Amino acid sequence: MLEIRNLHATIAGKEILKGINLHIGAGETHAIMGPNGAGKSTLSAVLAGHPAYTVTEGEVLFRGKDLLQMPPEVRAREGLFLSFQYPVEIPGVSMTNFMRAAVNAKREHEGKPALNAGEFLKLMRAKRALVELDNKLAGRSVNEGFSGGEKKRNEIFQMAMLEPCLSILDETDSGLDIDALRIVAEGVNKLHNADNATIVITHYQRLLDYIVPDYVHILADGQIVRTGGKELALELEQTGYAGLV
Amino acid sequence: MQELLVKQGESKHLIITHVADDSAQWRIRQEADSVLTVHLFCLDADADTVGDVLLDIEQIGGHAETYIYGLGILTGKQHISVRTHVKHSVPDGKSNQLLKFAVRDEAQGAFIGELIVAPHAQHTEAMQTNRNVLLSPTATMHTQPQLEIYADDVKCSHGATTGQIDESALFYMQQRGIAPDEARRLLLAAFFHDVLTTLKEPEVEDRLQRKIEKLL
Repeated sequence: MLEIRNLHATIAGKEILKGINLHIGAGETHAIMGPNGAGKSTLSAVLAGHPAYTVTEGEVLFRGKDLLQMPPEVRAREGLFLSFQYPVEIPGVSMTNFMRAAVNAKREHEGKPALNAGEFLKLMRAKRALVELDNKLAGRSVNEGFSGGEKKRNEIFQMAMLEPCLSILDETDSGLDIDALRIVAEGVNKLHNADNATIVITHYQRLLDYIVPDYVHILADGQIVRTGGKELALELEQTGYAGLV
Repeated sequence: MQELLVKQGESKHLIITHVADDSAQWRIRQEADSVLTVHLFCLDADADTVGDVLLDIEQIGGHAETYIYGLGILTGKQHISVRTHVKHSVPDGKSNQLLKFAVRDEAQGAFIGELIVAPHAQHTEAMQTNRNVLLSPTATMHTQPQLEIYADDVKCSHGATTGQIDESALFYMQQRGIAPDEARRLLLAAFFHDVLTTLKEPEVEDRLQRKIEKLL
């Protein structure tokens, strides 16, 4: 699914990623944990193609293709989804128009016909139920005036709409109360299957009680310093990053 | 210069679409209880258009209402200046101005908004908003709100901003698979939406919406 080899990346001339190696297979869930400033969010931004970052070395293969050569929208259409730590508010652009543009761009990329209005609204209804997203929210402008929890639920709703192969959840647990966390995690778990993969980026163990990873990686100073099973997250909870890094 | 008197109790709706000739220059007086609505659309496809829009409006009778809504996409080497001069000379008047421009290529735009509330024009409610988006580094927009308020019991507000397309919104949309051109179109359609809806004529709104999309 995803093969990252010796990935180095900089922002404004400062090196943040210093040689990341990571293999993610279909059906797997990987957690990436690490202290603040380790490069967790940088890794997700680089994979999504954020223009502020420059890759200086290394390669990334996504479903056998050179990911780094693709513009961000093509990465998305190929099935890479980033759940943003801070979802962006877009006043005046309705969720419906936004999602229709996104879904149909992906369908066109896959050689499928665009969904008509009826089919599209039916899909919206079905996917909304998955994350218990209110009909009223779906009728509003993208993320405008949404609470922190609603924004994160809206991210998972979009993930459900786009059915990505690889989902990167960047600090999806931040700012969520326990109920919102449960709804979001249940949504993610329902979407998980043997053909897709999930990367969960998180600072805390808490989310991993709900989304159970196959592998846990510890990122520190731009490198993966340890890899283990889900027990590594628990160990981390006991010792803190200082004991491991 | 065109002249217009909106008589007592009358409502007039003026739509300006040609900015390059003197049909875009108006001197308008409003009597008591009259309502004037002006829509200005600078959507000229000609790359060399030089336009000078002037709306010189004075409320000479009480309880008059003035609404100016405008939008424009300035392209090529266009040079378009819009001046509004709204004067409240008597009490109890209302005015609202909302003008939005997107400027691309090497086009130059200017908005000069003069709002005057005379000493006796108490209970005036006047608002002026000008928002602009620059779509290329060589595009320029000059904005100059000018408020002169001589009465003390009034409600007046104004705001003017010039910025770029929201890069974080653009990236967010790209991450969902939307091409940058399409994302820009959606963002600019959203930007102009509140001006278009003041027309309250869905068919005309749709026609203008298509024209806007063609120019972006």
